[in-house]
Amino acid sequence: MNETFFWWKLTIGVIATIGLYSVLYRETKLYRFFEHLFLGLAAGFTLVALWKETLKPLWWDKMTGSATIDPITNVSTMDAPGYWVYGFLLPIGLMGYLVFTKRHNWMSRIPIGVILGFWSGQQVQIWWNRWGAQIYSSMQPVWPTTTDSFTRPYSADLPAPEQAYIAAQLYPSQAISNLIFVITILAALSYFFFSFDMKGRLLKGSNTLGRWLLMIGFGAIFGSTVMARFVLEIDRMSYIFVEWMDQTGKMFGGG
Amino acid sequence: MSKPEKSFWEKAQAIDRRVLYAVLIVCTAISLFFKTEIPVNPDDSSKDLYVSLMTIDPNKTVLIESDWTNSTRGESAGHFEALMRILMNRNIKFVLYSIADPQAPQVARDALLRIQEERKAQGLKVYEPWVDYLDLGYFPNAEGHLQAVGNNIRTAWGGRKERDEAGVERDVFTSPVLSGVRVVGDASLLIVCSASATIDIAVERLYGKVPLGFMVTGVMGPNALPYYQARQIVGMGVGLKGVYDVEYMMTYGVNYRVEGTNKPKVSYREESVTIPPVTEGTTFDRGARYFLPLHVALALMILAIILGNVAMFASRKKRVVA
Repeated sequence: MNETFFWWKLTIGVIATIGLYSVLYRETKLYRFFEHLFLGLAAGFTLVALWKETLKPLWWDKMTGSATIDPITNVSTMDAPGYWVYGFLLPIGLMGYLVFTKRHNWMSRIPIGVILGFWSGQQVQIWWNRWGAQIYSSMQPVWPTTTDSFTRPYSADLPAPEQAYIAAQLYPSQAISNLIFVITILAALSYFFFSFDMKGRLLKGSNTLGRWLLMIGFGAIFGSTVMARFVLEIDRMSYIFVEWMDQTGKMFGGG
Repeated sequence: MSKPEKSFWEKAQAIDRRVLYAVLIVCTAISLFFKTEIPVNPDDSSKDLYVSLMTIDPNKTVLIESDWTNSTRGESAGHFEALMRILMNRNIKFVLYSIADPQAPQVARDALLRIQEERKAQGLKVYEPWVDYLDLGYFPNAEGHLQAVGNNIRTAWGGRKERDEAGVERDVFTSPVLSGVRVVGDASLLIVCSASATIDIAVERLYGKVPLGFMVTGVMGPNALPYYQARQIVGMGVGLKGVYDVEYMMTYGVNYRVEGTNKPKVSYREESVTIPPVTEGTTFDRGARYFLPLHVALALMILAIILGNVAMFASRKKRVVA
């Protein structure tokens, strides 16, 4: 890539970053300008991508067919014939926009109905793919099969049969870990029993424990999110103080 | 009547947020210039992902779903770059595609170009499009697309064309990258490098059809953990820690003991697995560069929370005494 072009590209990025970060001071006109610039760029980019990467290869080319032109002989050979029936997809798709007219809005239900039908048909398989394995893996063994050692011993240097024996055992440390998992899942599930009164020490205790464990879980999720946000800020600083300054040094310092 | 003078703790509670932002920006920017290696014990999920990547059949193609844009460059670029380095180091062919955002393919292309230029400068093999990798671009309707890939990958991607070595546009299934792929399971692995809920769609539509691996942001990490716990995915890297974990394992290997030492730097639960360090190309990069600033930022936040709480209790006590 041309060095000057690359430097300008980085410089515009730096100005845009500063413009957007200026909102940390207060909402400025600079911030508003770059916010709108980003929105406009994203919308424009999406429109082009919609044609280039979606409508053309998945619809237009299939409807009109495609041919390969040899760059040397300039002779074209047909790769795939066009299927005119793809043309019917356009009016079906356009029917979706009839939702805006009072007289014809019933027609918008046709494409929506097709989509909903496909969607509903897939749900059984999808549900099982997503949750089935998780339900199965929730059944964890909690009783250790050996007490030879508290944790699983290092076995890389042992003969294969001994390695296999060690791998097949449930050591107390893993059993405790599994027990914590099982208690957590039962307590968290008990928190969501709303169909009857939580009476008795066991049910009340389990409900309270479930609430506490959920809060701890949300705290961990929030912590992970905060960490992610910090990294985004660090990346912007790296963009300005490392990448841009490095390129500026190369451009003007010859380094 | 003059206002009563504020105590130190009252002033501490009223620090302008812009001062805090300035301190954060200055501290993280300065710490970017210090290159320090922070010893870590990589997460089990990162180890599993790395071991999978280093042990898959190099003759099989890897599918990469790149669903990130510059809005999560801090984390996702590190994941993507490490993935590129690993695959290129092992000479594995790969296919790139996106389903989350029309901007995602271009962002992935830019990151790929950076790695290609880096490898060229290091005198390493540069990947050729069509021969070593395919860039299929963006597919709309994430759910419908992955459903189609799971049902029949040849139909789902059949219409796509790329230029071959001679510059002639041809069907992607005639390229050396996809010629051996009849069903999605013919790929050795599908890696989803994502900052969005496309990880859920991948599990819903492709679980059981092809081994899945995730490289996700810190925000998506907790969402993806149940999939790892239930073994629906082979492994995953989460956020910057995941990036650093992978870079650390590339540098030091897994279960790899340097002569004269008793313990490996990174030990793995399956002790029969030994992966030596990656010897060519870059290993420590974006993850290592951002890891210290992240520690600085977290330390600042913890300090601010402690200061805020101590100040609140101190000023409350003062009010009660008064």
